Amino acid sequence: MRIPIGRLFGRNPFPALGGLMESVIACAEEVPPLVEALIAGDQATVIEQAKKISRLENAADAIKNDLRDSLPGSLFLPVDRRDLLQLIGQIDAVADCAEDVGVLLTLRHFEVPTPMAGLLSRFLEAVMVTVRAAGDVVSAVEALLSSGFAGSTAERTRTLIRTLGGLEHEADKLQDQIAKVLFQQEGTLSPVSIFMWTKVLNKIGDMANHAENVGDRVRLFLAR
Amino acid sequence: MDAASLIMAVAVLSGLYLAWNIGANDVANAMGTSVGSGALSLRQALVLAMVFEAAGAFLAGGRVTETISQGLVSLDVFGGDVLLLSASMTACLIASAIWLHLATFMGWPVSTTHCIVGAVLGAGLAVGGGSALVGDRVAVVGVAWVVSPLVAMWLGHSAFGWIRSKILGRTDPLARLRVFGPWLTGLMVAFLTMGLVFRSDGPADLGLPAWAAGLVALAAGALGAGVGRSLIGRAATAALDRAGAEAPLAERVRRTEQIFGGLQVLAACTLAFAHGSNDVANAVGPVAVAFQGLRAGITEQVTVPTGVLLIGVVGLVIGLGSYGYKVMRTVGREITELTASSGCAAAFAAATTILVGSKLGLPVSTTHIMVGAVIGVGFARGIAAINMRVLRSILLSWVMTVPFTAALAAAMVFAARHLLG
Repeated sequence: MRIPIGRLFGRNPFPALGGLMESVIACAEEVPPLVEALIAGDQATVIEQAKKISRLENAADAIKNDLRDSLPGSLFLPVDRRDLLQLIGQIDAVADCAEDVGVLLTLRHFEVPTPMAGLLSRFLEAVMVTVRAAGDVVSAVEALLSSGFAGSTAERTRTLIRTLGGLEHEADKLQDQIAKVLFQQEGTLSPVSIFMWTKVLNKIGDMANHAENVGDRVRLFLAR
Repeated sequence: MDAASLIMAVAVLSGLYLAWNIGANDVANAMGTSVGSGALSLRQALVLAMVFEAAGAFLAGGRVTETISQGLVSLDVFGGDVLLLSASMTACLIASAIWLHLATFMGWPVSTTHCIVGAVLGAGLAVGGGSALVGDRVAVVGVAWVVSPLVAMWLGHSAFGWIRSKILGRTDPLARLRVFGPWLTGLMVAFLTMGLVFRSDGPADLGLPAWAAGLVALAAGALGAGVGRSLIGRAATAALDRAGAEAPLAERVRRTEQIFGGLQVLAACTLAFAHGSNDVANAVGPVAVAFQGLRAGITEQVTVPTGVLLIGVVGLVIGLGSYGYKVMRTVGREITELTASSGCAAAFAAATTILVGSKLGLPVSTTHIMVGAVIGVGFARGIAAINMRVLRSILLSWVMTVPFTAALAAAMVFAARHLLG
């Protein structure tokens, strides 16, 4: 059999990209219940959630590695291969940060100062909304593929990316607020506690940051 | 059985084998894309391929056949030795068949055109040395081999770019397709008609001048556009009704692609016609010379007998029916990611390039042209992933094929000379 035309077509990496984003979102969705358990003082659930997040992060990693393996340099794609690899890296980073939050919260006993509790829930919700918006952007990539990365589909994707940026900014503002409240507890919390909380807040905030980067990488797809 | 009959029998059998191999492999490569995108079932693709391939070979295959049989090597060098001429042509067929069989078995993406042209050049060199080759004609074919895939690439890029900017990239792709789809059907029908009536030969020779052929093609194109308008219009209206005006853009694009499936089929039929018109010569060109030489002696002008063309047509159709469906199924399975619009653009670009080659009497590599067209569509961002490593193996088999068949044919000509005394 001579099938040069059949061999000419490589594996389409974009459905797997959507699969990666889905598994990363599934992993991130377990962070709010983790923090709620911490607020409720339910240490057993905290440990259980952290384990669950770690398991989901591992599953996402497997998809990521598969995807990277399916992108040899000889593959010609409608987008720059390096941009695509960076996009994969940013999606994966969201799950990595989620896992770090789980690990940090199980390292030592965390006390949740009462004035922080409400803000913390709102902050997490804002972060999750940002992560889900990144998911919308990644879903749009498949539609982009079907219309040759141009025209109204591209316009719609740009709008989604702008929305994503706005949501990340909201999460940032909440993070600043919560940090202020944290430092007001200087007298009551130990320095190590404050240090650890700073780390946790940064990791949660980084989930939103990487989600925003996902949008910026997809923007590069449109710019070519 | 005398030597002449024996040579003729071997020539016909080798020609049949070559045609069988071309029908089994190369046609399926062209038509399999429509199976991959889901526009055609395997059975439908098979029947359409047979019809259009046979039509192309029978009605428009003469010019390239003439080039292969007498355009590249001057028949004068045979000095009236009819037996040597026929034996040499048979040697070309056998050399091509051996190499093609090996390559097919190994799965190498060789071009049948390169096989036969290499063999004919080798045989000519063996008989008459360098002076046997018709230098300028050989040079033109060489240039065409390099230029034709590039032309197909450019056409594929332009065609998909046009489809994207006019239809797929819009907020209302279905309505846009209703406006621009008929232009596409008209263009393709006009093109196919032009291929049929202009510079046709043998059985289809109407002797129409260019302007008359153009008028006929224009009329057919208008008819095609009219039929396309009513068919696409109805399909688009039905799709709009079913999807609803509020359907998400992705859903409307998906339904647009479904209708594009019909256009892809039309493009694939044009491609099968073009392919038949160019590649049948690879199988029957040398047979025509051997046949004519034995019957009428070496003359200035070899006319391609209808019976000889028929050998090619029969071989192609049997190849498709006996093995082509397997190749088609494999190709269809491997390229499920190709959308109908991309497939349509690629097939149209390849068909145009090949058909122009056929009308100019140029034996071009349909395989390379199709690959060029697909890569062109890829450059227009119309294909999810193209495996560029294939290019290297194609280039490699190109470099290997011509010297191999040339040397093999030359060796056989020397042997035949020795045997015939």
